[in-house]
Order: sequence, then structure tokens, then C-alpha cells
Amino acid sequence: MPELPELNPVIHGKLRLALLSLLTGVEEAEFTWLRAKTGSTDGNLGAQLAKLEEAGYVSVEKKFVQRKPQTLYRLTESGRQALTAYVQALKQLLGGVIG
Amino acid sequence: MTASNEAQELKDRLSLIETMIAEGRRTTISWGWIFVFWGVAYYVAILWTAVYHWPWAWLVTMMSAWSLCWAIIRRKRQNQSERRPWTTSGRAISSIWLAMGVSMSLLLSALGFSGRFNWHIFVAIVAAMLGFANGASGMLLRWKAQIATAFAWWAASVAACFGSDDQCMVVFVVVIFLCQIVFGGYGMLWEARLRKQQGANHA
Repeated sequence: MPELPELNPVIHGKLRLALLSLLTGVEEAEFTWLRAKTGSTDGNLGAQLAKLEEAGYVSVEKKFVQRKPQTLYRLTESGRQALTAYVQALKQLLGGVIG
Repeated sequence: MTASNEAQELKDRLSLIETMIAEGRRTTISWGWIFVFWGVAYYVAILWTAVYHWPWAWLVTMMSAWSLCWAIIRRKRQNQSERRPWTTSGRAISSIWLAMGVSMSLLLSALGFSGRFNWHIFVAIVAAMLGFANGASGMLLRWKAQIATAFAWWAASVAACFGSDDQCMVVFVVVIFLCQIVFGGYGMLWEARLRKQQGANHA
């Protein structure tokens, strides 16, 4: 039976997986929206988003709107491909486990 | 870790992905009140025109409704603790309605100013355009209830080309009631139920 470590370790973390999945449905999302949807703390969320950015799975844009700082996150094409590959690998593993 | 534990772990991951994708897409603005709001605005304009025969009644009512609707949406967005992001389908649907609103305003104003306005043309154009916007939104969302309202508007558009002025007005009043007031009310109830469900899920 295939082992879990074959899954992409960058995506495998639950919060990072949740973040990538959330970003597939939207054009871009603010840090505060991602925090509300995941129920995560600022520190943890920032750290996990930084890992996804480092891997090239999300892009970040920082700007000021009405003098307030705003950080927007967008899923990149490689992030979308990585998530698709991860889902396929999960399904294959699940088939193996059930089989 | 046993095989059944591993299987459960994998299933949890898949379930998390599905839940989060659905959560991300659940970002359309609340829209039910907008249908009811515009239905009431149409009734105000119809009543104003019928009672006072003022030629600017429609233009003034529609402009006021636009401004008020915009102000309410802006206020609602400002009051949200976190701004909802745009989804691709949300942007597509909003664009359809915005473009339809601009087309209708320009065309009907031009008809009014040129003196070529009559009730049959007016109702036929308004109903056809609302049929188009509802039809396109309904098809994008694969939502049968909204596609049904599109058919009602298209039927009203065809009916407006026949019969007397009074019959035309009756058709318009009835279709507004069905497609704006009833459909919008249904939307508001649906949204309230969804919010309650989400509250229960988050609790």
C-alpha cells in the first residue's frame, strides 16, 4: 500500500490545504477573510501563507485602501496544479487503502 | 496506524478540500432584497405616472432607486467585518446585471427624449431585458427558479406587443409581482435559511 509521505508535504498541512482550497473558488482574498473562514490565529495563518508563497502556490499583493493596509492572496497556476495533483494522489491512495 | 485509520485520515482531507471549496464559492452578495427593492421601485414609477401623468416620473424614480440601491450595498459592505472576495461566477453575474441596467437606462431615456416612447415598446423592452439578465444568471447558476422568471419576463415581453394599453399594463404589474416581489421574497427566505444553517455549522 502506498504511504502518506508521497503526498505533497507543502499542501499536506491541514491549514495550508484549507487555504489553497478556499482560494480555488475566489479571484483573490483578503487576509481577514481567510482568517475568518479558517478560524486560525494571525500568527499561524501568516506563517502558513508564507510557506505557500515560498512554494510559489500563492501570490501576495499589499496595498492601502482608504489609508488602511490590505493584503490580498491569489492562487497561482502552479498552486492550482499542485492542488489538483494532490487530490488525484489522495484518491489513488484512498483506492489503495479501500482496495 | 491501521489501514482503516489511514483511510479515515485520507477521507478527512478530501472532505476538508470539498468543504473549503464550497465555503469559498459561497460568497455571492445577498440579492433577494434587491429584487424586492426594484419591484417596489417599478410600482412607485407606475403609480406616479398613472396618477400624476408626469413624464419624468420613470426617469426620476429609476435614478433615485439606482442611487439608493448603490448606497445600501456600499453600507452593507462597509459593515462587514471581512470583505467578501469576488468569485468568477459572481463577477460574471454582476456584470450582466450592470450592463443590462446601463443599456435599459440609455435606451429608454433616448426613447423618452425623442418622443417615440409608448407603453407597449416600454414594457416589451424592459421585460425582454430582464428576461435576458435573469435567463443568463439562471443558466450560470443552473438555477431553475430564476430560469422560470426569465420565461415569465419573455412571455410578458411578447404579450406587451399585443392587446390594449390597459392589458399591457396589467401584464407588466403581474409579471413584476411574480418575478420581483415573489422571487425576491423567496430569495430572502432562502438566504435566511442558509445563514441559519451556516451559523449552526460554525457553532
